[in-house]
Amino acid sequence: MSVSIVHTLRVLRPAAMIALVALTGLVVGFYVNATFFPGTSPEQPINFSHRIHAGENQIPCMYCHVQARRSISAGVPSVNKCMGCHAEVATDSPQIRLLASYFETKEPIPWIKVHDLPDFVHFTHKRHVQADIECQTCHGPVETMDVVSREAPVKMGLCLDCHRKNEVEHGTDCWTCHK
Amino acid sequence: MNFIDRFMASWRKYRKPGYYEEFDYAWTMTVDLDRCTGCGACVTACQAENNIPIVGEKELGRGREMQWIRIERYWEGEYPNAKLSFIPMLCQQCDAAPCETVCPVSATYHNQDGLNAQIYNRCIGTRSCAVYCPYEVRYFNYYDHHWDAPLEQQLNPDVTVREKGVMEKCTFCVQRIRQAKDHAKDDGRRRVKDGEVQPACVQTCPSEALTFGDRKDANSVVAKKMNDPRAYHVLEETNTLPSVVYLKKVRANAD
Amino acid sequence: MSNVDRRQFLKLVGAGGVGAGAGFMLAESIKHPVEYLIPYPIPPEEFSPGIATWYNSVCGMCPAGCGISVRTREGRAKKIEGNPLHPVNQGRLCALGQAGLQTLYNPDRLTGPMLQSGERGSEEFIQTTWEESLATVAHRLAAARDGGKNIYLLSEGVRGHLAMLLERFMDGLGSEHLMHYDFAHPHALYAANQRLFGEHTLPYYDIRNTRYLLSFGADYLSNWLSPVHHSLGFGHSRQGTDLDRGRFVQIEAKMSLSGAAADEWIPARPGSEGILALGLAHQILAGGAYTGSDFDDWNAALAGYSAESVAERTGVAAKTIVRLASEFMKAEPGLAIGGGAVDNHSNAVDTLVAVNLLNYLVGNIGKPGGIVFNSDPVVGGPANNRQANFIAMQQLAEQARHGAIDVLIVNNTNPVFTLPHASGFREALASIPMIVSLSSFMDETTTMADVVLPSHSYLESWGDDMPQPGLGFPVAAISQPVVSPLYNTRATGDIILDLAGKLGMKDSMPWDSMEACLKDGWRQIYERSSPDASDFDTFWRDVLVSGVWGEDIHRQDTVVVDKSVIDNIDVAEPEFSGDSEQYPFFLHPYMSTAMYDGRGANLPWMQELPDPMTSIVYGSWVEMNPATAQQLGLRDGDLVSISSEYGSLEAPVVIFPAIMPEVIAMPIGQGHSAFGRYARDRGTNPLQILAPLTATTSGSLATHATRVSLAATGRRAAPVQTGGDTRQLGRNIVQFTGDDSSAGGHSANLNSIPIVVKTT
Repeated sequence: MSVSIVHTLRVLRPAAMIALVALTGLVVGFYVNATFFPGTSPEQPINFSHRIHAGENQIPCMYCHVQARRSISAGVPSVNKCMGCHAEVATDSPQIRLLASYFETKEPIPWIKVHDLPDFVHFTHKRHVQADIECQTCHGPVETMDVVSREAPVKMGLCLDCHRKNEVEHGTDCWTCHK
Repeated sequence: MNFIDRFMASWRKYRKPGYYEEFDYAWTMTVDLDRCTGCGACVTACQAENNIPIVGEKELGRGREMQWIRIERYWEGEYPNAKLSFIPMLCQQCDAAPCETVCPVSATYHNQDGLNAQIYNRCIGTRSCAVYCPYEVRYFNYYDHHWDAPLEQQLNPDVTVREKGVMEKCTFCVQRIRQAKDHAKDDGRRRVKDGEVQPACVQTCPSEALTFGDRKDANSVVAKKMNDPRAYHVLEETNTLPSVVYLKKVRANAD
Repeated sequence: MSNVDRRQFLKLVGAGGVGAGAGFMLAESIKHPVEYLIPYPIPPEEFSPGIATWYNSVCGMCPAGCGISVRTREGRAKKIEGNPLHPVNQGRLCALGQAGLQTLYNPDRLTGPMLQSGERGSEEFIQTTWEESLATVAHRLAAARDGGKNIYLLSEGVRGHLAMLLERFMDGLGSEHLMHYDFAHPHALYAANQRLFGEHTLPYYDIRNTRYLLSFGADYLSNWLSPVHHSLGFGHSRQGTDLDRGRFVQIEAKMSLSGAAADEWIPARPGSEGILALGLAHQILAGGAYTGSDFDDWNAALAGYSAESVAERTGVAAKTIVRLASEFMKAEPGLAIGGGAVDNHSNAVDTLVAVNLLNYLVGNIGKPGGIVFNSDPVVGGPANNRQANFIAMQQLAEQARHGAIDVLIVNNTNPVFTLPHASGFREALASIPMIVSLSSFMDETTTMADVVLPSHSYLESWGDDMPQPGLGFPVAAISQPVVSPLYNTRATGDIILDLAGKLGMKDSMPWDSMEACLKDGWRQIYERSSPDASDFDTFWRDVLVSGVWGEDIHRQDTVVVDKSVIDNIDVAEPEFSGDSEQYPFFLHPYMSTAMYDGRGANLPWMQELPDPMTSIVYGSWVEMNPATAQQLGLRDGDLVSISSEYGSLEAPVVIFPAIMPEVIAMPIGQGHSAFGRYARDRGTNPLQILAPLTATTSGSLATHATRVSLAATGRRAAPVQTGGDTRQLGRNIVQFTGDDSSAGGHSANLNSIPIVVKTT
């Protein structure tokens, strides 16, 4: 009598079951991590709300991210800049007191980067801002977010689609964006 | 058009006659061997500019050197008439580059500036290009390289750090070209002026042996140097049509 | 699942748990690593993230004094380039200058003040504070001063205001023992200029405008005086003008980088170069190029130097001597320089007088393409007058051995490495009760220190510099910090000022910081220069922006050589240590661009920069003529033992086609026993086994006066070499053309380079 497939499976059933349970566990673990520990909207050292600043108070993006129109980096405002307003505004709020303590000790605030491109990508804010690309195109509706999260998929496809649509000169040459 | 069609179309485009005439620029380097002293300043300038790793003695002993520009030395004759000549060797940015045709994933290709581009995160490390290159100027990352802290603070943010398993080579300091174009755009100019952009090696060369510019501009320094009767291409017989032009070393006739 | 028993259930739970854990880890690992955006609390005025800021400063890697522009991004130094406005290097820089970033970001830098806790040389130190260490040192200095004990300060060659501070500091301590020590200082060249021209300075050698350069051993393209400036001149003379292409002749026993660049390389017996120069002078007189009224004196002085007798003494053929003299005479103009090995024989001063008088005889003193004298630097006196020669260093050691030195302060110089063992310098240090080092690195000399007060790197400090040799007109440059200090270190000037304050020297040194001292000093330069700037602050800012300041003042002097000098012109036969039977070879230790005097060895870029002549990285070797190797039965990579009367060492053989058979050459720079991870225990230091012979008059170490013997060890240790074949093998990679560009025979005319590719 030859060994039938059915027989083999039967012998291996316990092992197969263990493998199946382990695989299910793998998938569950992966999604638990992705759902409950998303790296895309990290907790920041100060609960800064873009909704309050850019949404309710209508402060233009480039009032704080002043470098965006002239540098490759948009930059985050210095503590000094924050204190420009918050020496007067909402000085009693605990978060603003936290900010003031950074200012008094001359400590920089370790903001966590949300929109982070890989090291091999050359992206310049300057050229995009000067071409009147809305900040929200890549950063999503930041003015509605209390905690900024990465909503727009900032992947190569997004860059290429836009470069093609707008017929950017040499916009699809690899060395335009890859460094 | 699906991906494959688009890919084939652009692939064929590079091989059509006349394509290169449409270049915006044809970046060219000239190397005057009569001025070159072999001092090695270009080599270190390139290491500093392009985040070229420190390979270590052991790996160097295995021939895994990493220098986008290197100084080759050739002896002739015997004592007391021995003579030594130096030649800086770097990616020749060939118009008909053998490396481009063999890459299975098109990680290396010719761009509209006449540059032979290498896209690191596309590279899968077959090393075919290095085999096909007659100038032996492509270097492979056998390992992820390491900088002893705080040496990594020197790394140039305009250039990426390459990872294990990818090929790398001279880019004619494409980050500087990119920046020069950006400046031109800021000034409302269509084109980069002659001399506005210099790769790190050209910038530092103490005997001014290296020059860089656009050979499509007939008034550029490189275009003039190419008209020198001393101009030649290394390994011209391979018909790779390099963008690096060497000027012959002058041998004074003794006696 | 009724048939699941307890064991199975536990297995399943375990598998599920492991799987979930693995999934979690997997998701975590493919997540983007957390990166931070850290803004300045209060940003500096000139700072913008993503935009480079450039600062002009002065290179501190060698004494040439090139101007640099440092590119910084987000407060970090990224790249050093030459300052295009600086007349010495005109935007260019050598490999060592490029590698300056690796002294700044070197992982082996000293991070704060330390006290020796173990035995000297053990490198056991404990961290301390600046307050405590400075107080200790100040207390000790005060006690020594008041007790009438000797205080020595041994510094690297410094110029400008730092040199002035050191002078005043030592004056305040009532000590005369301020010494500068640079291994490569050309003592003999200064002495020769003093004898022939009556000037104890270096003139400007105008290589740019010369049409014929006769270099006696000077490796002017690699490390002699001002290599970047010379390289610029070399390139220009070769191909930069419509005039005839400049010709370069190099006379030396072992081909240097400059020898390889020369049109003609002529080996002459070691130490006989001066005799050859006098032979040429003899021919020049005979050829009628010199018409001065003291012609007869010259003729009498040089009578013994006929081509035949010189040929016999130098090993250079008589007809070559006649030809060289005639070429040199006819060149408009020709220039003769001497250095390197020639500067380091027992007869070095005689030799360099002989070389200089060639320039005098063809009348190119004070002319373009010849020798141009410099005026005194704008700050302080001539910078060289503190330079300690070998005799002075031996006296220091002698004093130390007798217990006559109470405190020795060492500023960033490493004599323990660069002096031969025979000098006994390291051992002598043991008798000094207190040694203070201001070095940024744990070099060999600093391992002997009791207190280490680590100084800033040159990229973190204020300073100024007047390049030596000058360019025939006064030049001064300011060195400014380009990054904030990385560690708890302090600028040398600030350390000295702090100590001066503690020792009650406020009267002579009233400044709070080096920056204040500089500003004060530059006010005088501002006043003397009647500048365009309306006020000093504008002037100061202008100088900081351009990085350099100069005056269009040129000296117009005619040199007349005194009869007594002419009558005594002669070159003695060189002396060597060791007899020719037992020690048949001349040892030729040489410096390279990358290692210089050993200071490049802790920079990984310099370790990985292949030696241009041999393509060797990381290590030491000994070069010998193929005939010598064959005679001794040695192959490339055989480890040999090299012995002098004063010691021996081992190095692998490299067969080198352009070296005299009786000479063996070794690079200087490796063989460190300390100095950080990249330098330590790598290669050998040929300076160790040199004989303590000095050059007459200049008292400098005759580094080329040691004879050695060679013995195979039977072991092999091939050095790591990059690059392929040393011969072209018919590949025509380097192509040549004749002197006359219309001579034809070129294979390519690039007019015809097609921009269009032909498809096949």
